[in-house]
Order: sequence, then C-alpha cells, then structure tokens
Amino acid sequence: MDDWKPSPLIKPCGARKKRSWYLTWKYKLTNQRALRRFCQTGAVLFLLVTVIVNIKLILDTRRAISEANEDPEPEKDYDEALGRLESPRRRGSGPRRVLDVEVYSSRSKVYVAVDGTTVLEDEAREQGRGIHVIVLNQATGHVMAKRVFDTYSPHEDEAMVLFLNMVAPGRVLICTVKDEGSFHLKDTAKALLRSLGSQAGPALGWRDTWAFVGRKGGPVLGEKHSKSPALSSWGDPVLLKTDVPLSSAEEAECHWADTELNRRRHRFCSKVEGYGSVCSCKDPTPIEFSPDPLPDNKVFNVPVAVIAGNRPNYLYRMLRSLLSAQGVSPQMITVFIDGYYEEPMDVVALFGLRGIQHTPISIKNARVSQHYKASLTATFNLFPEAKFAVVLEEDLDIAVDFFSFLSQSIHLLEEDDSLYCISAWNDQGYEHTAEDPALLYRVETMPGLGWVLRKSLYKEELEPKWPTPEKLWDWDMWMRMPEQRRGRECIIPDISRSYHFGIVGLNMNGYFHEAYFKKHKFNTVPGVQLRNVDSLKKEAYEVEVHRLLSEAEVLDHSKNPCEDSFLPDTEGHTYVAFIRMEKDDDFTTWTQLAKCLHIWDLDVRGNHRGLWRLFRKRNHFLVVGVPASPYSMKKPPSITPIFLEPPPKEEGAPGAAEQT
Amino acid sequence: MSRINKNVILALLTLTSSAFLLFQLYYYKHYLSAKNGAGLSKSKGSRIGFDGTQWRTVKKFIMLTSSQNVPVFLIDPLILELINKNFEKVKNASHGSASECKFFCVPRDFTAFALQYHLWKNEEGWFRIAENMGFQCLKIESKDPRLDGIDSLSGTEIPLHYICTLASHAVHLVVFHERSGNYLWHGHLRLKGHIDRKFVPFRKLQFGRYPGAFDRPELQQITIDGLEVLIPKDPMHFLEEIPHSRFIECRYKEARAFFQQYLDDNTVEAMAFRKSAKELLQLAAKTLKKLGVRFWLSSGTCLGWYRQCGIIPYSKDVDLGIFIQDYKSDIISAFQDAGLPLKHKFGKVEDSLELSFQGKDDVKLDIFFFYEETDHMWNGGTQAKTGKKFKYLFPKFTLCWTEFIDMKVRVPCETIEYIEANYGKTWKVPVRTWDWKRSPHNVQPNGVWPVSEWDEVIQLY
Repeated sequence: MDDWKPSPLIKPCGARKKRSWYLTWKYKLTNQRALRRFCQTGAVLFLLVTVIVNIKLILDTRRAISEANEDPEPEKDYDEALGRLESPRRRGSGPRRVLDVEVYSSRSKVYVAVDGTTVLEDEAREQGRGIHVIVLNQATGHVMAKRVFDTYSPHEDEAMVLFLNMVAPGRVLICTVKDEGSFHLKDTAKALLRSLGSQAGPALGWRDTWAFVGRKGGPVLGEKHSKSPALSSWGDPVLLKTDVPLSSAEEAECHWADTELNRRRHRFCSKVEGYGSVCSCKDPTPIEFSPDPLPDNKVFNVPVAVIAGNRPNYLYRMLRSLLSAQGVSPQMITVFIDGYYEEPMDVVALFGLRGIQHTPISIKNARVSQHYKASLTATFNLFPEAKFAVVLEEDLDIAVDFFSFLSQSIHLLEEDDSLYCISAWNDQGYEHTAEDPALLYRVETMPGLGWVLRKSLYKEELEPKWPTPEKLWDWDMWMRMPEQRRGRECIIPDISRSYHFGIVGLNMNGYFHEAYFKKHKFNTVPGVQLRNVDSLKKEAYEVEVHRLLSEAEVLDHSKNPCEDSFLPDTEGHTYVAFIRMEKDDDFTTWTQLAKCLHIWDLDVRGNHRGLWRLFRKRNHFLVVGVPASPYSMKKPPSITPIFLEPPPKEEGAPGAAEQT
Repeated sequence: MSRINKNVILALLTLTSSAFLLFQLYYYKHYLSAKNGAGLSKSKGSRIGFDGTQWRTVKKFIMLTSSQNVPVFLIDPLILELINKNFEKVKNASHGSASECKFFCVPRDFTAFALQYHLWKNEEGWFRIAENMGFQCLKIESKDPRLDGIDSLSGTEIPLHYICTLASHAVHLVVFHERSGNYLWHGHLRLKGHIDRKFVPFRKLQFGRYPGAFDRPELQQITIDGLEVLIPKDPMHFLEEIPHSRFIECRYKEARAFFQQYLDDNTVEAMAFRKSAKELLQLAAKTLKKLGVRFWLSSGTCLGWYRQCGIIPYSKDVDLGIFIQDYKSDIISAFQDAGLPLKHKFGKVEDSLELSFQGKDDVKLDIFFFYEETDHMWNGGTQAKTGKKFKYLFPKFTLCWTEFIDMKVRVPCETIEYIEANYGKTWKVPVRTWDWKRSPHNVQPNGVWPVSEWDEVIQLY
C-alpha cells in the first residue's frame, strides 16, 4: 500500500475498493466540480436502472405465475365445447326430458323420427323388406344401432333374436315393418317379442303393418298394428307417435375399472349397441387377447389388410377371431373400410387397431374392386419393407393356427416362382370331403378368402393394370383370368384355416350360404405341424402326385360315382377314379360329379393339371380327367373313364358366386 | 463537509443498489429461465457435471424408453459431432467407466432422439408413464403422407414429433416413418392452434423445420457418460445428411386433377415404357449412389414428377441433372459396367457436358451437367450434325429429397421456378411434340464448336 502512487491517468470508472485510492479520488473530485456533477448524475442513472430492472423482474415473475395458472384453461374450454357437442339436448332443458318419437310402417315405406330428426327412412323399391329395428340410448336419445331383418326369408329371425338379446336392458327399442315381415318369423322370435311386452308382434301376420316402441325389459311405450285384409293386399299404413321419457346418464352407463382398455370399451359402449357381453356391466368379455406367441414366427412382420364394408357386427366377430389367433401381431393389422361409416370405425377403435376409410369409387363389383386396389396399395405404402401381405375380409373367422399355417408355408412363395398365392381356404374342403389338417395342395384356381399376396406380383403385374372404375368386374374373377394368373398355382390346406360366415353381401344370400358355405370344414386344432411342406414346390409336387397315383387303388368304375358305395367302407386308403375330360377346359363330368358330391360346382375349383384331391369316408380320393390330364397314363387300359351326362336344359346356376 | 457526506451517501447507495442489481440479475436468470424451459441455461456452464439437468433428463428419458421398449436412437447433431470426434475412444470405453460427463452435459436447449415407428409395439400408455415420471410431453400429429398418393383414403393420424421436458431440459423425439424407397421420413413440426407456443423455444429445434428424409441408418449401441444409447453406426454420414435432408412431397392432389382433365394413358405401350423407365431410373440411381454422385430429376422426368407424380409415357427418355463439380471421370465406365453403354457424349467437362446412355427397350438415359454462374445455372446442348451449341438457363436452385415411383430421389426445391424456366407458364398442358433446340423456354444459341474440337466434343456410338 505504501508504495502506491497516484497515477494521473487513472479513470474514475475503473474503481477498485482501496481506501487510500478512494481518498485520493475524493480529493480530486472535490476539486473538479464538473466531474462531481457527472458522477452524481451517473449514480442517479444507476439507481434508475435498478428500479427499472426491479419493475421488469416483478412483471416477469407475475406473468410467469399467471401463465402457469392459465395453462389448463384452454383445455377445459375445449372439453366443455366437446361436451356441448355431444349432448345438445340435455343441456337446454333440465335432466329429465322426453323424446318425441314417430314411427311409420307401410308396404313401401318406413321411417322413424326422433325429436323431429329422421333417423330412418326407407322407401326404396325391392329393398329393405322385413322388420327394421332401431336402438336408442335411454339417456341421450342417440341412435346406437340400426338393423333390418328380412324375416320374410329363412333364418333372419334367428339373427334378430340374437341381436335383440344382445341389446342391454333399459335401451329404447323401435321396430317397424316394411312390406312383409312375418313369413319366416318363427316361434322363438315371437316369444321374444312377447317378452318385450308387444301385443301385435307375436301375432304378426302376412303383410301386416306394425310399429312398436318399448324399453328393453321395461314398459311398452307405444304400439300400432294393422292387419292385412287379404293375401294379395297389405295392411293399412300405421303412424305411431309417442313420448319416450329419458333416464339419467348414471343409469345408462357401466362403472368399469379405469384402465386404458376400459376407456376404449366405454367409448364404444356408450355409442353403439348390439355387441352383447362386450358391454355388459358385470364381467364384460375381454377386448384384449393374448394368444400364445408363435415360436419362430415367419409372418410376424407381414402386414395384414382387413377389407371391410359396412357390416360392423361381422367385423367385430372377425377381429375377435383374428386377434385370438396364435402369432398375431396387432400393430401389423390395418382395417380398410369402404365408405365413411362410423360404426365399423368404432369397432376398429375398440380393439385399438388402425382403421382407414375409403371414399367409395364407382358402384357394385367395381366399387369392391377399387376398394381392394386402394387397400393393397396403401398396405404396401404403410409397410414398405414388407414382401408379402395377408388379405382378409370382414366376414371370415380366422383359425387359431392361421398364422402358424402361413409361417410354415410362406417360404414357398419366396422360393417358387410358379406360385400365385397361398390361401387359407379350400373350395372343396367340406365337412365330408376334408380330413387332414397337416396336408397341403397345389391348385390352379385362386380361392381367396384369407390369402397371401406377394408384393412383387402386386406392384409389378397387378397394380399397373388393375381394372379401372368403369369396368364392372369382380376383382377375384379378374385375378383368376389366365392373363393375370399365367399358369401359376396357389397353395391351399386340405382343411380351411378360414371360415366364411357372411350371409349378407354383394353376391350372397341365406340360401346360397347354406348350400355352399355352411358345411365348410374349419380347423380348430392349435399348432398343427404341416407335413412335408417342401413337397409342394413345382417339381417335388409332381413326384408326390406320381407316388400317390402309383399307390392308389383303382375304384370299381362300373358303380355309380354318386352312390355312397362307390368308395369302400375303409379308412386311410388312397383311391383313384378316372373321369372323362376331353380337353383342358372340358369339365362336364367333373361338374356333375361335384354336384352329386355336394361340393362347389358353380365353376371349376381345386384342380391341378386335371387332378382333383379330396377325402371321402376318411379315404384320400383322387379324380383324374382322361385324356386331358398328364396323369391319364396312370389309367389301367381296361378302365373306361366315367362319363356323367349334364341334365338337359336347366335353369342357370343362381348367379355368380361370391368370393369376396 | 456536508458535501462530502452527500457524496459518501451517494456512493453507499450506489454500492447497495449494485449489489441488489447483481442479485436480481442472478435470480432473474436462474429462477425465470428454469420456469420458461431451457431458455437461458447456457449461462450455467459452471455447474457441468453428472448432476447437470441435461444429463439427468436424458438419463430418465433413456430409462423410460428402455423400460417401455420404445425403439429410439440418438440423433442430436451436437452430441453426435462430439461422439464422432472421439469415436475411437467412445467405442473402446468400457461400461460405466466414465469419469467425467463429456457429452450429455454439454450445454444445449434440446437433446434430439429419433423413434423408429415401425418397430414400436406398445404405443398406447407410453404417454401416461412418461407423465408419471415427471415429463411434460407434447405430441404433434398429422395425417399420413403415405396415404396421400392413393385416391380418397383417410386414416387415423400418425405421430410426427414428441417433445418432453423435465426440469429445464427438453428431449425432442423425432418420429421416423418408413417410406417406399427404403428410407426414413420425418414430418414437419407444425404448431396447431391449441398448442402452447412457449412450451419450449421451438425455433431452436434441430429437426422439424421441414419434413426430412434419411437413409435408413444401421445402429450400434455405445455407452457414453454412463448411459447406454443407440446411435447411427456411421455418425459422420448421418451428420452429413442433416443439412440436406429437406423433403418435399409430390403434389398428389394436383396430379389427380391433372388426370381428371387429361386421363391417364393405360395402353400396353405406355405401361411398358413406364416399367422400363422405372427400371432404368432405379439402375441409374443405384450406380450414381455407389459413386457418391448427387443427381436430380431434370427436364421431362422432373415435369412428370411435379405435374402427375409419375413418368410421362410419351417422353421416351429419363433425364437427370448433375452439378459439374460433382463430375467424376469414372461415371461412364460405371454405367457401362451396370449394363448401360454410352450412346453419345457432347461437350467437355469445362463446357456443356452431356452424356447419354442406352437403356433397355430403347429407353435413353440423358445426364445433363449443370454449371453455376453468379446469378444463374445452365446446362448445354450440342447438335451433332452442325456442331451448334445451345445453352439452357435456370434460376439458382437447391436440392430437396422427394419420393418418386418408390424411390428416394432429389429434385430442385424451387421446382416451380425450375419447371417454368424450362417449359414456360403453360407446363400444365401436355405437349407431345418437343424439339429440344426450339421448344424449351430457356434455350439460347451458344455459338458453334470449333471444327478442330469436334472429335472430342461430339462423340457418337
């Protein structure tokens, strides 16, 4: 400190806290007025800055705090706005309210209006015959389900019973008849209508009109009925107007434990009706299935496209079976819905799957075909690394070993260029013609109904020339055309791994389904080990067929092949029969044989170079077309091929077969 | 004396107030910046260590993702850069032996991770668990661009970005989606109406300003700062991709409108041409990628992409552009090895270079080399018969990725300017007869090659 010397160069701003220096500084300052003034103003300015920073600090802190408080508010507003949208009615006028319901029934028109809003109107010709049923939510008055049961036709009443039983107690039921609804309305259905409290329902007669409003398990709220005066005429139109009191929301809802799954369930159950125990308050059926994983699953990363239309109940049943199949990977599933239908989307959301809606293009078959194209393209876009895609439809049950079956066979598609697809469906695999779950075939036809498509086939061949919207073609018929198939074959199992349960569809009705689909065999055994999969490759299969034919016992060709006694009462034998087949496309005898065997006879399915393979009485039964088939050489010279005469001039088959 | 007192008081006041001021500034920076997110955390450089908020947030985030099987990998440019610099050390480091926090404690606003969406199995419920761990998360969703190309499909929205904050640090999780063409895509981070714009300083995000496209990286597991993370196997390559990753989608809606007006050509010949042109483009892209040469769709191929999201069936060739500075002498031999013989070569590297290769089925591959001037770009043309030179001028452009017939390729980002320079304002109208010397809007005569050079600059095979 002592040796410190004041420097004239020092600047007042470079202050350091040293006493001696301060004194010098002070001394200097007192002698320099101007400088003193300057320092004073400096100090005042400095104080001012402090004040400003302080104020800013206070303001910022307050803003930060108020922001923290404000944050949740917009969300609340949003929720409220949603709430307002959801139930506009209840808000306006107190909790207890009534709905004003109008129901009209007549020969050519039905309609239902709730509070002046038409929720059903059907006056189309030749459509919508039968009993229309609407289910309303008893608390909100929202339409939860809308169905029509053509009870003029057989078995539709069974569907109606099934549906009405699934509706939760307390819901408001509305029924109205269009045209005719009694012809196949059986006693069970009538008893059910009686249990709902209906007077006229159980006594519904030929061409009667009928309108009904009631609560499930509760009082009837209104009913009108008009008898048809004569066989050839209809009952008078009836118009039923009635008030339906609404109940409180608590009564209408279940209280499940708060889990992610139940939140999905709740969203679903408060919106739609007719899905039975999935919405029951006590012990609802699970919506998550944890099937056993598949060891060495080769199809775990293969995308699954589910092609759907507006048949949400079918979709529900289908997805249940799909998600229960061993080795399923839910994140690979995409459901493609043809149209902006809400209910199928609700079903998809219930199971937590991905759903995509498709604006319908064109009409009828062409619409289905465009939907297929968009769905397949989208599938390969969404999973660009996939080499295959599994294509399913909404009206299929999926076997528990569906993915196991594919996992064991999919390498064939990769290794064998002569294959077109792998399908889970055997067209000829009926209860009485299929036997062996471990057996696979090669067939020249494409069965569809649960199949695997190779990406390269789709991208390089099919997609570029897919039928355009103005062509009213069936996509599957188009795929079966020789220009597309180019001689390639499909792998199918003896016992199908899918089951076609749909009885309403574009080309489908109850009769047709009963005749051709109902008795189809469906595998229910898990984990079946397929036998000798590599023998399905092109060359190996020829060796296999030759071996079979050499082993096979030739049947007695003098007997009638339609008779049961054509095959001996043995088990586990292999038999062969030879039928006449002049050219590659001569299926006269085969069609007659298929008809009397009660298998698919509407077109030719399941053949491989003029050979058909099926089971009869637990024996493997081979049919060879002579002389067109290359296997004709196996025919002993003494045998004359069977020839069956087609019946003279009959009505054509009931329309084209649906395979969609 | 009174004057001195006054001065002393004044000085004392100044001292106390400056003390206050300092305290307040300190408080202001720390308390408020903590409240507002990661805002000004850089000032805290002194507290770097294993207890840094960045490190702790990242650690918690990694715990969360590994317990929930969320397939994430690190893509943070800052940290990858550091890892890349010390790559050998990082690879050799044994587990948990880190003595100081060198990577995750570096001051920054965000740590960016990528999520491979197609590998993610249990999306549901993840959010809730993150929030239970103390994260505040923001999810940004949008419609799926992979469905845009298909008429009239509408699906559920897909997640594009997650931003999760904990303490004052934020993790930006970029969702990578698989696209056709074997690449990964991430979306544009667009803030919708109800999103809190002050949630994090969005402007400072490294990803999401534009959609982006990346090669699918191979991954490797490393341990840095005591944390196990997956990173791209080749961090250098990934870092190089970032600045050029901007992706633009094809204009599918306009393309559909175009086809409504002009109908698609679905004749057998048109389909055959599209098929061979696609194969040729795939082969060219593969060959150039192997050489490491950047290219973009040019002329008719670019117009086809922009106007109709496809190949113009009557265009007869595939046109590519390459910057002359990317030219490599082995391009010709590489194409020949790939089965594409040279058809002609016009010009020379210094001037108007153009290469033409013969593909299968009479489809030609034209490669134009682009020269950069101060205010424009140009490529040259040569008439074989007369030796006349032409010049095609373009406004300056940069390159973006796009998806074209199941391939990831580049196009000029400023596509409309590029196309209008080439085809004029009427590019929307299909023109079937095209004269490369007269039809383009941007063609200029450029003199004649001296006859002495013809042997070099006009080579026909």
